[in-house]
Amino acid sequence: MRRLPQHYVFILPALIVLAVVVIFPTVFLYYISCTNFDLAQGWAARKFVWFDNYRYLFFEDPLFWKSLSTTLVFVVASVSCETVLGMLVALGLNRLGSGLRRVLLALIIIPMICTPSIISLIWKLMLNTEYGVTNFLLRSVGAHNVNWLGEKLALCSVILVDIWEWTPYMVLMLFAALQSVPLEPIEAAVVDGANSIQIFFRITLPMMMKLFLIALTLRLVDSFKIFDIVYGLTQGGPGSATEVFSMRIFRIGFQHTNWIGRASAYAVIVLLILSPIFSRFTKLVKGNAY
Amino acid sequence: MQIERKPLASKILVTALVVAFTAVCVFPFYWTLLTSVKSRVDVIDPSVWFFKPTIENYVNVFTKRNLLFNIVNSLIVVSSTTVVSLALGTLAAYGFARFSFKRKEDVAFWVLSLRMLPPMAVVISFFVLGRLLHMLDNHLYLAIIYLSFNIPFTIWMMRGFIEDVPIEIEESAWIDGCSRYSGFFRIVFPIVSPGLVATAIFCVIQSWNEFSLAFFLTSFNAKTIPTIVTAFLSVTGVLWGEMAAVGIIAITPIVVFSFFVQKNLVRGMTFGAIKG
Repeated sequence: MRRLPQHYVFILPALIVLAVVVIFPTVFLYYISCTNFDLAQGWAARKFVWFDNYRYLFFEDPLFWKSLSTTLVFVVASVSCETVLGMLVALGLNRLGSGLRRVLLALIIIPMICTPSIISLIWKLMLNTEYGVTNFLLRSVGAHNVNWLGEKLALCSVILVDIWEWTPYMVLMLFAALQSVPLEPIEAAVVDGANSIQIFFRITLPMMMKLFLIALTLRLVDSFKIFDIVYGLTQGGPGSATEVFSMRIFRIGFQHTNWIGRASAYAVIVLLILSPIFSRFTKLVKGNAY
Repeated sequence: MQIERKPLASKILVTALVVAFTAVCVFPFYWTLLTSVKSRVDVIDPSVWFFKPTIENYVNVFTKRNLLFNIVNSLIVVSSTTVVSLALGTLAAYGFARFSFKRKEDVAFWVLSLRMLPPMAVVISFFVLGRLLHMLDNHLYLAIIYLSFNIPFTIWMMRGFIEDVPIEIEESAWIDGCSRYSGFFRIVFPIVSPGLVATAIFCVIQSWNEFSLAFFLTSFNAKTIPTIVTAFLSVTGVLWGEMAAVGIIAITPIVVFSFFVQKNLVRGMTFGAIKG
């Protein structure tokens, strides 16, 4: 028997485990998405229905397009606010003394490191209409009570909580990016009479672009996957007001109906939407994306 | 990057704004802490900021809700998945850092992309499979599934740390008769151990925090800490004080851990792809 090359001894155990816990379930998911498996009927009763589940999603399920647009609204609103706010705070941090900013940064990152489902509990406590501190503070400045988790504002509240939780991530990443920008070109620009807005857009931003795009991509993917915060705060409701894609998968497959086959088709669509972003991300990290 | 040309007033303004932002980040935790030590009467009155603290809520979550059971479940899952992924991941990281082979980078970047895999995409398969194998609500099953994100993470983190170790140190050991394996265990391993500790802390944090998989795949016996939200879903009749106490207990270890990995945060938050 030929001896295995030595690197196999190191990498194969991990790759075999990954094949079992990642490749196998993904292939299995594609298979389930082509069956009419229903939890209430049992595994043996399933039939292979080809792409019928997909036809159902696209043409019959009234909530498919709604949940897709809810997710897109959520992703665009939260990630853009996080990016802009994160950039502003990172620029501010950059002007502070190094002792103060180390302390502030250590505090700022707490929201993003904490258990997201527990975060949703904390905000449920804060946003409660009668007993919540948010409305108490609003009342004390003379405003009216706001029904944060009601039909109209629920999506908005979920977005706000996501912004609160993840802006720290953008601050951390963008601050690190700012720190990596060398001083000399900026000093030269100052000598040439450039103002700070010109310096930011023409020098600082282009030089931190790679890290900026990596942070942005990761946020986009993560916010598309959001489930925990929505489940803890609103469970997709009221009605379907905060029914993002992951929430829809949960409802169609486990909560309202037990249509696992259709839920799998949803999950396959999530994979298809995200996979170009995956490959874009790996290209970015390799450093030849632009 | 700091250019001193702004007047004092604008510096004070910037400081004030950043401090205000920090306060917004921290305030909910302060409020939760405050709520968790309020008595049953004070809890529903947000205008009470100063009062005599009580530990009643903390006692209740352990005696009535049996929180310890969930904590132990979390500890079992977190520790087993972390140990296994550190062992397998570090070995693989060494393979990626020190050998060159065909399509190495393709494999490495495939591993990296796994870290972004949506839990929703795999959870249905795991649920169906778990039902067929009668493995649902099982610590071991959950721990194995957590390997799907912990191993890719460990590989990328540790690859970076191992590449930081100069190869010359190892080469001189090989000349002295060390094999590749004992070179790895005796020379590289001790040098990268601080990086290993940081990686372990990140694995612990992300496994402790994981909700979606735990939510679908456990129901009672293996229910971990994050899934405890299911006990507080309805708004009426929620015991806010106990809910706050659960929150504080769940996040305190995470916050403490995060202080130990401050230096490696950027690296950890980009799956080791960027050496911060």
